[in-house]
Amino acid sequence: MFQVKDLSFRYPRNKQDTLRDLSFSINDGEIFGLLGPSGVGKSTTQKVMTKLLPDYRGEILFRNQDLKSYGRDFYQGIGVGFEMPVHFSKLTAQENLTFFKKLYRENADTDALLERVGLIKDKDKKVAEFSKGMKVRLNFVRALLNNPRVLFLDEPTMGLDPKNSRIIKDIIKEFRDQGGTVLLTTHLMNDVEELCDRVAFMANGQIEEIDTPKNLKLKYGARSLEIEYSENDQIQSASFNLDTFGRDPEFLQIIQNKTVLTIHSSETSLDDIFIRITGVETDE
Amino acid sequence: MNNLPTLYLGELMRLRKYNILSASLFVAILWVGVIYFSEIQELSTIFPLLVFIDATSMAILLIGATMFFEREEGALKTLFISPITRSEYIWAKVSAGISSNLLTLLIIYTYARFFRELDLSFLGLVGAVILISGFHSLVGFLLSYRSRTFTDLLMSMFIYFLALALPVVLDLLGMIESKFLSNLLYLLPTKAAQVLLVGTAGVGETWEIIFSAAYLLILGGILYWFVIKRFTDFAARESGA
Repeated sequence: MFQVKDLSFRYPRNKQDTLRDLSFSINDGEIFGLLGPSGVGKSTTQKVMTKLLPDYRGEILFRNQDLKSYGRDFYQGIGVGFEMPVHFSKLTAQENLTFFKKLYRENADTDALLERVGLIKDKDKKVAEFSKGMKVRLNFVRALLNNPRVLFLDEPTMGLDPKNSRIIKDIIKEFRDQGGTVLLTTHLMNDVEELCDRVAFMANGQIEEIDTPKNLKLKYGARSLEIEYSENDQIQSASFNLDTFGRDPEFLQIIQNKTVLTIHSSETSLDDIFIRITGVETDE
Repeated sequence: MNNLPTLYLGELMRLRKYNILSASLFVAILWVGVIYFSEIQELSTIFPLLVFIDATSMAILLIGATMFFEREEGALKTLFISPITRSEYIWAKVSAGISSNLLTLLIIYTYARFFRELDLSFLGLVGAVILISGFHSLVGFLLSYRSRTFTDLLMSMFIYFLALALPVVLDLLGMIESKFLSNLLYLLPTKAAQVLLVGTAGVGETWEIIFSAAYLLILGGILYWFVIKRFTDFAARESGA
């Protein structure tokens, strides 16, 4: 779907490039996560890929065609979900959606979407009366109103309660399962873990790592097995090499003679990987 | 796909919902009040001045106000990722601004026509307002591009009027005596606007009116080129650049 080669971008007032030689591809029908600390260039990458920042260096191919060669019709097939509110606050949700729908050749059933995200009863309220969470959900509906093939989502569940967050994530997964492609930018590692087929970690304007969440965990996780067992009414623990524990006499002796309480491979979390790669805490 | 009608109707709806149209109508009523409280019976001299002030200042303000709200509410971002062209976006706003100015013209013309003496060509006024309002809407775009806040816009507008409109008004009131200075004013688009408006009362030479109309059209074309060209920079800046 997208092939990005040696992408660099510098804001006019900056002395240094914000993006430096990024190369990655996003496949058809996958959810691709772009992760990294604030200010690292995730949003800039997304803005370049949505043609909001045209003066980039390098090459971006969209459906094997130079992104720069696309006109405004490019937007007929994409949906962009912003983190911040983007609607006319003195218009109702319905008036906003009706206005934007008329700009597209193809329209989704927005009533069904509003119903799904729990806004159908509020569709005739002015957006100014919406809470932050309602505005986030309306942004999401706005992103889908033209039946896009590609979705760019920036923190789509930020500020949502678990129930609404679950609804949004389910819709994103259904979108992917129906062949849609998603570029997801988020700080929420639970979302990444649940949604993303592949992730790219950015640091200092560059991509430091791209892989599936599972492979990253394997790569960055310690290959060990942790076991807790009971001995003399006390909880004991031991750690074994994941590749050799089956032949380890101590391990065999524990599982044969002790009461095992817990046993699990030592998996690292995406949070840990984030910190290791970017050197920054995820809540920054 | 032509999105201009949708954008134009959207602009009109927002002018109404954000009470910008109400403010514009309020100004029209103010002009009616000015006429009501003045003791001048024959309005053919003062009427073009009222229309001049309204068509220039309100055109800039309408563009500035709508863009200010779009910027404040983040709606510009979602418009930028919609399948609309720069020219559709600009023309929709210009057309909505002209419509509002024509509505004001209709209100004050109707009042003046029925309650005072007014001998002006209405069609001439309509044509003049379209040209003047269209030109100043484009000025409004350039000023809005430069302004970070609404106060910035008002300041830029104030400077524009001080430099370009005040000398024309002073000349209209006969306060500029130097012939050379008076002729120099023909370089100003505001002078062309004034010539067009007083021309509807039959004042001025035909060539002068044609020259002024052509001058505004040509300057408008150049201005439009700048507005379009700088729109990309504006969009990039609003997107974070």
